[in-house]
Amino acid sequence: MKLVKLTSITKKMALAAAGLFLLVFLLLHASINLCIIRDDGGLWYRNACHFMGTNYIVKVFEVILLAIVAVHIILAVIVTIENYMARPVRYAVSSKTKTHTGSKWMIWTGGLIACFLVLHCMNFYAVKIGLVEGKYTAKIDKVDAFFQQKAMKMQNGELNQKETEEMTAQLQAINSIPENKVDVKNKELVNLTKEEVFKYCGTDFEDYEPDFYTMANELFKKPIYTLIYLLVFVVLGYHLFHAINSLCQTLGCNHKKYNGAIETCALGYAVIVPLLFAVVPIYVMFIK
Amino acid sequence: MKLTLKIWRQDNAKSKGRFETYHLDNISPDCSFLEMLDILNEQLINKISHPVCFDNDCREGICGMCGLYINGRPHGNDDAVTTCQLHMRHFSDGDTITIEPWRAKPFPIIRDLVVDRSAFDKIIQEGGYISVSTGGVPDGNAIPIPKNKADEAMDSAACIGCGACVAACKNASAMLFVSAKVSQFALLPQGKPEAAKRVMAMVKKMDELGFGSCSNTYACEAECPKQIKRSNIARLNREFFKAKVVSEE
Repeated sequence: MKLVKLTSITKKMALAAAGLFLLVFLLLHASINLCIIRDDGGLWYRNACHFMGTNYIVKVFEVILLAIVAVHIILAVIVTIENYMARPVRYAVSSKTKTHTGSKWMIWTGGLIACFLVLHCMNFYAVKIGLVEGKYTAKIDKVDAFFQQKAMKMQNGELNQKETEEMTAQLQAINSIPENKVDVKNKELVNLTKEEVFKYCGTDFEDYEPDFYTMANELFKKPIYTLIYLLVFVVLGYHLFHAINSLCQTLGCNHKKYNGAIETCALGYAVIVPLLFAVVPIYVMFIK
Repeated sequence: MKLTLKIWRQDNAKSKGRFETYHLDNISPDCSFLEMLDILNEQLINKISHPVCFDNDCREGICGMCGLYINGRPHGNDDAVTTCQLHMRHFSDGDTITIEPWRAKPFPIIRDLVVDRSAFDKIIQEGGYISVSTGGVPDGNAIPIPKNKADEAMDSAACIGCGACVAACKNASAMLFVSAKVSQFALLPQGKPEAAKRVMAMVKKMDELGFGSCSNTYACEAECPKQIKRSNIARLNREFFKAKVVSEE
């Protein structure tokens, strides 16, 4: 019985192609993460997050990425169930055949990575789409422009008494804003809760963004989160090593001239990319 | 050699099977595994018991009939041999040997250690052949074939269809078998005209019969008595992709 009416090869190829896309995405993600360790008060990282959060092409890719992650997970589960059903009665003696062990663990390592993805999305993506409250940042020049606009309205008598009082309160609040909420060098208000955004910038101020730099730094200062993060990336490395070799085979790339190179590249990618991710929490935890 | 055998016994496809234990004495290390089972069966017949059923035919490793899952490995603990070529010198005195039939949904048990492997025949019927063009026998050199391609095709054609690949695979996948059959034709000019139709039909039938998909563990390659290579599976994937995308079939 097949759960999805696609041939087994089509399903495996789709799974592999989705995996290939995710490999490229991981590189992009790692390169953005590395901006955190740059000693610029989060300028590059916040700019990268701003670009990723506002660029329309990136937004389209974000939808594609979510769809591809879903396809990758759903197909992996379907293929695993179908494969299990292909042998309803198991052997009494477990296999003694020498095989690539990575394959046997793909669904479990993948499952663990998927669980981490949920946690990761709760910490970051959910803040971005407004499901969960996090920390926020706002450009000082945008806050200024917003105030000037309001001040003009006040001068022209377009604000009612309540709005005028609110604006006066905001001006007082922003004059007494704590130092750790202002990044003078990069001209940004940072590390703000939503309540603080409204307090300092006004309830109708909309030009604020999630402050992923502060959120990432806060998370990586927590030893338990960093430990989980590092363990997951060890698991990811193990998953990737088999995944890259496997996807080449599934997509038909098996040639005695290049098999050695494929294996070396798989090992290189599976070690280097998780290391690039792991560098960030280690730096934040122990050096920063 | 003294041996303890734990053998899967099952009266028919529908009945419930169980392991039964037998003790054998004075087994020569030089006898083959099947000869050892013959000795056991002789003793069982003398005791008016049902002998253990197992498939075998040529006993030369070329027919693909024999196939037993011995101590966790298809065809036992020697590399690149069929069960009939496995000898008792690969075991030690006092060993316990567990013998199971191939386990896969498309290979239902007929009796004891005998499984129905006609699923492979059904896959072959879908396209594992070249349509015959009648007439005189063509000259041997009329169709030029590079030596390396001829060798590769011959290596793929060495598959005897024993089913060890299915038995070894954790997914009971028949990809190595199907890929060998597809490759032996895909590599030769005679197989080209029907290549797209063949690969699509054989893969469709393989799936219909309930074989699992390939997880690239390469257990099949490790246990194949004819050492069919995993590169055939990659070729099958290429041929399938080409057929799906390019062909008009």
